[in-house]
Amino acid sequence: MGASVLSPQGVQVLQDLTILLGAPLVSGVISHVEGRLQGRRGPRVLQPYYDLAKLFGKETLVTEESSWVFLAGPVVAFGCYLIVPLLIPVLTTYGLPLGYMGDILGGGFVLALAGFSVALAGTDSGAPYAQLGGSRAMTFGALIEPTILFVVFAVALITSTDLPYALAATVRSTSSEMVRPGHVLAAIAFFLVVLVDTGRIPVETHSGTLEFGMIDEARTLEHSGAPLALLKWGSAMKQLILYTILINVFVAPWGLAASGSPGAVALAIPALLGKAMLLGLVFAVIDNSFSKLRLFKITEFIAAAFLLAVLAVLVFYAGGG
Amino acid sequence: MHPAPSTYAGMADVAAVLVLLTEFAMLRAPTLRAQVRLYAFQSLVVTVLAVFIAATQHIGELYVLALLSFVLKVLIVPGLVLRLLRNAEVDLAGSSVLGVASMILIAIGVSAFGFFAVGSLHVHSTALPPTALAIAAAVVLVAFVLIILRSDVVSQAIGFFSLENGVSVASLVVAAGLPLVVEVAFLFDLLVAVVVFGVIMRVHHGRTKTLSTTELDRLKG
Repeated sequence: MGASVLSPQGVQVLQDLTILLGAPLVSGVISHVEGRLQGRRGPRVLQPYYDLAKLFGKETLVTEESSWVFLAGPVVAFGCYLIVPLLIPVLTTYGLPLGYMGDILGGGFVLALAGFSVALAGTDSGAPYAQLGGSRAMTFGALIEPTILFVVFAVALITSTDLPYALAATVRSTSSEMVRPGHVLAAIAFFLVVLVDTGRIPVETHSGTLEFGMIDEARTLEHSGAPLALLKWGSAMKQLILYTILINVFVAPWGLAASGSPGAVALAIPALLGKAMLLGLVFAVIDNSFSKLRLFKITEFIAAAFLLAVLAVLVFYAGGG
Repeated sequence: MHPAPSTYAGMADVAAVLVLLTEFAMLRAPTLRAQVRLYAFQSLVVTVLAVFIAATQHIGELYVLALLSFVLKVLIVPGLVLRLLRNAEVDLAGSSVLGVASMILIAIGVSAFGFFAVGSLHVHSTALPPTALAIAAAVVLVAFVLIILRSDVVSQAIGFFSLENGVSVASLVVAAGLPLVVEVAFLFDLLVAVVVFGVIMRVHHGRTKTLSTTELDRLKG
């Protein structure tokens, strides 16, 4: 590591560390704001860190019916969430050494593998609610997949590649790229995808104990101790990863470091976390302004997201994207 | 790689896309009142689009048209339909033959057909980008889907009115400088349609005590 320029590998490690250590903070800020919006004082901003520390100190209980999958699932998922930040522009505008080993679809596959392993671990517990959660998560994951694909198609039509770095650079290049209809539609569609994937209110109550409406949350009901801590940490990381993609690829790819100079990189970390917290505020407001959809109405929500993504691609084909 | 359209074309396209999105929203609107309000919003977007073109292309007549369409389509027509609904005093739940997701998927397919059909025509226009024409065609087709799949008189009326909105967008694309008389004739047409649909709603409600057309399954000798 030079005195004036950080090595790309160093920045890459920093990307991972930013997501790893920043994710609980972003979650904490969101739940604090949510508490305020609901007229409560809300938990402390640093509460997720205390929760994780507490869970890591507790014993791990495993049901007699479950196999090694039950314990391996959370670890695999956590590993996946550590891989994805290498593929997306977290801190830099330029691709880092491992940044081109996968495109948006590659990142999507890794995220899907994480979701799959958590669902598998939940199913392996043998408990009905965890199995229900796993089955629902897979069902709605499959339903939202076409939307993600069409968003990727729209990105590919804009940039001729499907690299997240390329789209971020295109969006930064001129202001007319920001308002072109195809981009606006794809960005809104991806926003809805993030709502679904982070288990936010029109789809799921992310904090609550009512099993009937649970999707993602139900999968982890049987875990305890360190695996539960990994699952919670992982879901906070997944949230920050999705926010990062939405912010640094689609909506506001500014404030990223254009070079490896320590000052620029040091500035990019609070910039990302700040933007993620602002986006979190938007999600918190949505959380408090809408009611949860009935489980069988979620398809309508997903159909709306799909409509936006398909229109993004169609508008391109008509020549006006 | 597609270059981004100019800001003018981009904004016109965004307006046209908004018109199409409101058409989809009408398709899934749970209540008839919501549908009427969406129609008013859609008409407002069309009016704004007309003003936008008038200002950027310096076509004075379009201001008159925009004013007329604002008064007629944003204020009078939705107001009249809402009053009819208030007098009808039936449950306002919309009726659809299919589930919402299936309806949206069908409409997506139909509008994709519209996009590709118009795209293969290679129409060029000075006033608006050709994309807006493709979107207008999609609006007309989705309006047909709305008329076919929702089985109540109000949806069918609103479907017809919003079809006219799609035609308005198309005429803005193809012939922004169309003689005012022709445009006013369109609007007059709409006014006639409002009267006709008003009569249909009243008679239908008077006979069957409902706005749903599912009651109309008996032959009359």
